[in-house]
Amino acid sequence: MKRRLPFQVKLFLSLVAFSCLLLILLGAILFHFIDRQLHHDLGQRARVQASEIALMPGLAEKIAARDIAGIARLIQPLRAQSDASYIVIGDVNEQHLYHSESPERLNLPMIGGDNAEVLQGKTIISVRKGGIGVSLRSKSPVFDADHQVIGIVSVGYLTSYIANINARILWQAGLYGIALLLLLFLFSWMFTRNLKKQMFRLEPKDIALLVRQQKALLEAMYEGVFAVNGERQLILINRAARELLDIHQSEKDLIGKPLENVLQTSPDFFSQPPASKSSDRHDHIAVLNQRQVIVNRVAIELEPGIESGWVFSFRDKNDINTLSSQLSQVKRYADNLRIMRHEQLNWTATLVGLLQMQHYDEAIRYIQAQSEGAQKVLDFVSAHFASPALCGLLLGKYVSAREKGIELQFDPACQLTRPPAMLSETELMSVIGNLLDNAVDATLKAANSAAPVELYISDRNQELLIEVADQGCGVDDAAKPHLFTQGFSSKPENGDDIIGSEHGIGLYLAAGYISKAGGSIEITNNIPQGTIFSVFIPYTHSSSTGLKHDKLPGA
Amino acid sequence: MTNSRALDVVIVEDEPHLAELHREYIEQHFHLRVVGIATTLEEARTLISRHRPRLVLLDNYLPDGQGVELIDSPLLKSFECSVIFITAASDMQTCSHAMRSGAFDYLIKPVFFQRLRASLERFMLLVNAMRQVKVVDQHALDRLFNLPTGDVPPTPSTKGIESNTLERIQRFFTDNPENNWSVEEVVENVGISKTTGRRYLEYCVEVGFIRVEMLYGNIGHPRRLYRKAAAE
Repeated sequence: MKRRLPFQVKLFLSLVAFSCLLLILLGAILFHFIDRQLHHDLGQRARVQASEIALMPGLAEKIAARDIAGIARLIQPLRAQSDASYIVIGDVNEQHLYHSESPERLNLPMIGGDNAEVLQGKTIISVRKGGIGVSLRSKSPVFDADHQVIGIVSVGYLTSYIANINARILWQAGLYGIALLLLLFLFSWMFTRNLKKQMFRLEPKDIALLVRQQKALLEAMYEGVFAVNGERQLILINRAARELLDIHQSEKDLIGKPLENVLQTSPDFFSQPPASKSSDRHDHIAVLNQRQVIVNRVAIELEPGIESGWVFSFRDKNDINTLSSQLSQVKRYADNLRIMRHEQLNWTATLVGLLQMQHYDEAIRYIQAQSEGAQKVLDFVSAHFASPALCGLLLGKYVSAREKGIELQFDPACQLTRPPAMLSETELMSVIGNLLDNAVDATLKAANSAAPVELYISDRNQELLIEVADQGCGVDDAAKPHLFTQGFSSKPENGDDIIGSEHGIGLYLAAGYISKAGGSIEITNNIPQGTIFSVFIPYTHSSSTGLKHDKLPGA
Repeated sequence: MTNSRALDVVIVEDEPHLAELHREYIEQHFHLRVVGIATTLEEARTLISRHRPRLVLLDNYLPDGQGVELIDSPLLKSFECSVIFITAASDMQTCSHAMRSGAFDYLIKPVFFQRLRASLERFMLLVNAMRQVKVVDQHALDRLFNLPTGDVPPTPSTKGIESNTLERIQRFFTDNPENNWSVEEVVENVGISKTTGRRYLEYCVEVGFIRVEMLYGNIGHPRRLYRKAAAE
């Protein structure tokens, strides 16, 4: 494949070629005009000379007398001063009476055949081949006293003379042209070189690639990026930034606008950080559009030391929190694994010891103890609750509570074989799940966080009864009426809380499901501390059990 | 007769010794036939789709994945197949997942043959019961599938009910037959914990000794009160 010329050379060559073409065209037109002007000028000059000679006193008489020597004497001084190629005098019969260049043609006929008009008394200019070559000439009649044409004066410039003049002009013009061309070369070369330098020595297709690449790079970034110029107008914003900051306009609409119109920033967003020599800033916590973000700032410097804008990149603070909490979880898992491995080794060693000592029964008991607890919980859950999904939920809650160091105790009398008609399985699971989560959280917050969470579920009577008791931090009496409104949460809303927004929804949802099913929920204080949530959901909507609901208790 | 044909079982277990022990135990004690032992998830899929067994003993930790994935798979749902899911005590979270998918039983490793036997006996019970139910009635089927693991206590449940405490509560109501009592008042007077109290009261309601009265106060939620039922 043919290697393509670099951009600089290509631009240089085309500049030079185009200017050469221009110069040549210009030269040709100019030459054409000059040539025509020269012909015209010389024609006029010849005419003036011919007319003046024709009017010379004494000439007419001498022609009439055919005084050849006299004519020669008369004209010779003129001839010496004129730049014309020749001067010829003829008589009415078109015979030479005087020829400045070749006297041997005297009495010979004049050549050219353009004398007819002259003999009628007119002065003409013509280009004809005469006795000594092609020439531009003017012929003027000579009148006698009676105003009769008696002779012809012809003054001519040979074309070879004209060509000489032209060649001289052309030669000079050519010199100027070459000088111009040299200048042009120089200018083109410098221009292209400068251009190349401004384009960082990149080929145009490299630049196009770079631009596209940069765009794709920005769009692919998970971090939000935007840039402002010196006037703090937005010059760039990527997709992630728009998504993170919840801006719905397209990039095209945003660019060029002042940053304040697009974003709500804290007042000190642009201020110089103290104790920093450059204006770059790293991992600075800021609020953009009411969202806590971690911002990095880098100055754009077109020339060193002069800031002409900044590039900001930012991440959601919550993401970072999630990440760090995941990291600490991984660390915890790793620790757990180490501990488990250690325990496993001890366990195996003990078992091997027992077997070697042939204490087989003891060995079996020892092994049994390992799986007993877990198997018991499994068996209990799957035996007492009919719904597999609910079993899964309860076991999951049991395990996650245990991971937090809290025991979830199932009341031995737990039983659920029939779900209430007004409550779907998912809703039932949501109710139980939320109550358990709250109980576990409350226990974790209490000083005595080793206390178990107790769960009692019974469908023995006309209602489904769910009771979750914890010995946790408890609920203020004042807060109890608000417990089931959306957004109410007793959980702390500090910065470390990565699921803050989810708080206050669980009980609200649960209460909604319960009231939809025609049930009720009671909160009472546990003894010695903590809270008991009791949920009652009737199996038949309006009770047909014969209980006297409307009856008020006596005393 | 179909009854004489042993039911097919596939064992999925990557420890060959253990798998062999299970096979031996199953074939000795039950009318079951182990048609294959799979040591990987991939092998298990092949074996199950080839033999379409009636029962799968499924270990969770396998070299190429988790056994729990199989329970959910359309392969096992495509025909009548029960799964006994086996996993380690440290892996209860997976068990919770398996439960949601509805395995037949869940065993914790190390598996004790007594427990395995109970599970298999229950399985045989289910299979036989299903053979006998000629007209499949959805309700009966549901009941079969939900056969509890342990012994089903005869109603009313006496689990967690001590006669001593029960007597004290019953005496309290007998002594005050005309009054309505809230849970708080009962537990305070009898001297038991509130969480235990609810269980006993529910039991008493169940056997008809006391009944529930609702008090609709001026606040939104009705209060629940207990009262001695009228003597028969």
